[in-house]
Amino acid sequence: MAAADSPSTALRRRDLCSRGIRLAGKMRADVVDLLDAYVEQQGLDASASVAAVEGVPLAAVEHWDEQTGTQRLLENLAAYRAFRALLAQMLEEQREQLGEADTGLGRALAAVLLQVSAFAYHLEELLRLESRGIPGEEGDGPPPPPHLSLFEQKLRGLGVLRELAQWAVRSVRDLRQLTKPSPATGAASGLAESP
Amino acid sequence: MFSRWNWVACGFCLVLNICSPDASGGLVQSCGHIIPESPVLALGSNFTALCILNESCLDFGNIYANQIIWKIKNKLVPKEQYREINRTVSSVTFNDTSSLATPLTCNILADGQIEQNIYGITVTVGLPPEKPKNLSCVVHQTSRFTYVMTCTWNPGRHTFLDTQFRLRYSWPEEIFPDCIPKAVNNSCTVTDIQFFVNTEIWVEAANALGKVESDPLVIDPIDIVKPLSPQNVSVSSGILPTVLKLSWENWISDAVMTLKFNIRYRIVGDTNWMEVPSEDTASPRTSFSVQGLRPYTEYVFSIRCMKEDGVGYWSDWSEEKSGITTEDQPSKGPPIWRIIEASHTPDSWTVHLMWKALKPFEANGVILQYEVTVRDKSSLSSPPKKYNVTSTNHTLQLPKGTYEVTVIARNSVGASPPSVLLIPESNSKAPVENLRTLPKHDKLWVGWTAPNSYVLKYVVEWCLVSSSSDCVIEWQIALGDVQGIDLKGIKPFKCYLITVYPLYADGQGSGQSVKAYLKQDRPSKGPTVQTKKVGKAEAVLTWNHLTIEEQNGFIRNYTILYKTIDGNETVVTVDPSKTEYTLSSLANNGSRSGPDFTFTTQKFGKGEIEAIVVPVCLAFLLIVLLGVLFCFNKRDLIKKHIWPIVPDPSKSNIAQWSPQVPAKHNFNSKDPMYPEGSFTDVSVVEIEADDKKSFSEQDLKPFDLLKKEKSTSEGHSSGIGGSSCMSSPRQSVSDSDEGETTQNTSSTVQYSTVVLNGYRDQTPVQVFSRSESTQPLLDSEERSEDHAGGADSTAQRQQYFRQNGGQDETNADRPCFERTKQITHDNEGDLVGFVQLQISGQSSQPFGLGMEKNTQEAALSNVLQICTEGQTVRPETVEENPLSVDEMPKSYLPQTVRQGGYMPQ
Repeated sequence: MAAADSPSTALRRRDLCSRGIRLAGKMRADVVDLLDAYVEQQGLDASASVAAVEGVPLAAVEHWDEQTGTQRLLENLAAYRAFRALLAQMLEEQREQLGEADTGLGRALAAVLLQVSAFAYHLEELLRLESRGIPGEEGDGPPPPPHLSLFEQKLRGLGVLRELAQWAVRSVRDLRQLTKPSPATGAASGLAESP
Repeated sequence: MFSRWNWVACGFCLVLNICSPDASGGLVQSCGHIIPESPVLALGSNFTALCILNESCLDFGNIYANQIIWKIKNKLVPKEQYREINRTVSSVTFNDTSSLATPLTCNILADGQIEQNIYGITVTVGLPPEKPKNLSCVVHQTSRFTYVMTCTWNPGRHTFLDTQFRLRYSWPEEIFPDCIPKAVNNSCTVTDIQFFVNTEIWVEAANALGKVESDPLVIDPIDIVKPLSPQNVSVSSGILPTVLKLSWENWISDAVMTLKFNIRYRIVGDTNWMEVPSEDTASPRTSFSVQGLRPYTEYVFSIRCMKEDGVGYWSDWSEEKSGITTEDQPSKGPPIWRIIEASHTPDSWTVHLMWKALKPFEANGVILQYEVTVRDKSSLSSPPKKYNVTSTNHTLQLPKGTYEVTVIARNSVGASPPSVLLIPESNSKAPVENLRTLPKHDKLWVGWTAPNSYVLKYVVEWCLVSSSSDCVIEWQIALGDVQGIDLKGIKPFKCYLITVYPLYADGQGSGQSVKAYLKQDRPSKGPTVQTKKVGKAEAVLTWNHLTIEEQNGFIRNYTILYKTIDGNETVVTVDPSKTEYTLSSLANNGSRSGPDFTFTTQKFGKGEIEAIVVPVCLAFLLIVLLGVLFCFNKRDLIKKHIWPIVPDPSKSNIAQWSPQVPAKHNFNSKDPMYPEGSFTDVSVVEIEADDKKSFSEQDLKPFDLLKKEKSTSEGHSSGIGGSSCMSSPRQSVSDSDEGETTQNTSSTVQYSTVVLNGYRDQTPVQVFSRSESTQPLLDSEERSEDHAGGADSTAQRQQYFRQNGGQDETNADRPCFERTKQITHDNEGDLVGFVQLQISGQSSQPFGLGMEKNTQEAALSNVLQICTEGQTVRPETVEENPLSVDEMPKSYLPQTVRQGGYMPQ
């Protein structure tokens, strides 16, 4: 597949990967900052244990290095689509709870939401470059959120952010893996990863 | 009439506007309307409007489309632009909307005269928006976590319409809210910027005439970031005296972007920045050690950053921070020189050692002291003398000889390398040659030709030459391989004396000097000129040299400008070394004229006065001498005239004369009237008064005084003979009564008193009364005027004539009657005859002087020469012409006959 890439496609893929990596890195940094603000704002304990968020693929997987590039992209896309929906829901809940007064946390959530959307866009573009069909969102989207109490909403939000932070780290690794000349991944060969 | 039409109009209006059957819910129902309603039109386009009349108005008001007129702001639109579509619709067309104005009204002429408005619209004319151009965006970091993106563009031409600009940006699957500019139309700032995603940015401009979008700008905002400059910059000195460590904080996280840096620094007080090589700071960091700095020097630092890959914008320079490097030992010894003065003893010197304080970059710290070592080279056995000095000079009294002086500067870290100066006993080495100067802007370049021998270094001394103070020497050391240096701090228009000494390893060359100016100006004043000597055709001018402060440059020459009183100006150039110049034959570069100085040459040149006076004196002396000799030779003759033998009047026959008796009757030819010795020479001139007019004025001058007598006393005259030549006659009272008193006077001259003769037809009565008075005749004449009205006898007695018989008298300066030859009688000393000169009033010759025989007189004529203005008339000469008794008078007295003249007796 890589051998069939045109120069422009290769450049495009490299550019997308590069930006994706940097976006994921910034997203992780912002999410980490947001986690601190969120915990403090919601009155939670930073060490509180949160169950896995439903509908979000776990970032930690076995045999990660054996995954193909497409597989990585698809898992990432599924995860970030789920994060996009969850963050949108969190933002809505945030607005319902605090109104427009707490603009700081709301802006931070909106910013992370944008970054998640942008990263999902990067993934879709990469999948297009690999001539892969992009799965539809409807079927793969998270199930409608169950009715949760306010505290449960806060804990779920904490869990979403923690998982997003982990996914950001994994996404950086996945995209770097895609840029490496690895036959197993089918990623573009000869592409150097930007810092 | 007016009232009637007014009511008609009102009624018509009611019909049109109020009584309309189509009134629906309102009080006013128009009879028509215009299509389109309030259009917005493009400037320059064409436009057509329709006025549509309501059908209902047709029936009530008989209004039809052919009655419609169009107006633009009350100005009638030409009917050529109308078109009747049908009976209810009229159109108007404008080919260019720029001629439109608001409002455009549809009106109708009722009955062909009454104008009534049907409808009006507002027309707005403008331009569609132009496509925005030159869209560019910059993401500014406003705080540690916030970024804003400001985009600017060129909005294009003015549209004259309300045009909305909006900045739009989007991701492929995300549309962001538009950014609408506030108060401007060419920029907008977006606050929710997300990095690492290509964002499409464009500008949309819209107004009533259209909408247009700019070309999109697709960019990842991270590539257009202008980050905040590094914060909290600090400078710290390290162990090394040439290193300072710069530390800072970056306000942008590595997750967003990594940075590279620029570091610049400068010495405090210097305006030129130096930069750390950019490749040394091209990686992310928060500190950097700047090396290669000067010890003990304060530096100012500043830093900026940008995205590491160079895509984006540099931040602003950070605030400046300063730091000082630590001290180091002085890098070189102080330059040293000396001034040697002769001491009070011939075998010793006074040596003024002087050295320059090290420059900061040479001192590398605070110089605490100088160590001076003086070693006598001629006496190796004597130990060197050491002095610790805190100033930059030291004076020593040394015996003449060769010395080696060493100076070391010391600071808290260490000592400088030594500076060595060899002071030889004499400057016997070769000097520099061809010493010259050249001004170069504000510096004075001094150049020389090096001697053939190897020169260690040169010492250039210079000092400001002043007339009021000593030359304060400044000096500078130049390396031996140079042949010229620039002297700084040289003042323009000041004279400097520059001396260059070559220093050899084993001695010193003698100094070569030159005077120089950095800039020259014209002298501040001109010399004051004085005359040393002034002659007829020359003058010696002197002046003093200007002081050195007044010269402002080298005096090339003096220029003397002088002009005569009539304005002829002459210019003379004088050598500058001179202070004196002789102007004979009374005859610029920057220059200053001295004060004007006026002098006048003398009328006579040197020696001319002597040349005139001496010959005149000599001539005078010669004449006097000749005169004396002549008088000596002719003393007998002179004696005869000056001291003549005067007969006693009492014994004279004439003593019997009576003034009251006419002389004629006294004449007796038988009687010896003139005893021997009674008379000398007597010349008689007879002039008749009537002939006066025949003489020229000049001829008559001698008779001027006599004229005065004319009106008072005829016959009064003193102008007989010599007296007529203004020969200072003196009054001589020779009245017969006084004859005895004057008889004994040896100096008396015979005079005669002339008794008035008749005037014209009157019988002349002539009475002569001889006198020996020597008084001035003129005085008597003047006095005679006083007595003019007196008795005849008195008047007659006061008339005197000087008797000049036999005496030569010369009056060269004025016309005169000169008797050149005496009438010689047989017996010398007696009257032998006289020349009677009669100027006849009937003479036709103006100057004709005829000798006529008066019938009443017996006149012996001699040679009479009349000298008038150089003309000489020699009258007829009669010599001892025997006359009858009646005709020959008994006595001959000189007479000058004027009006009522005197007749010889």
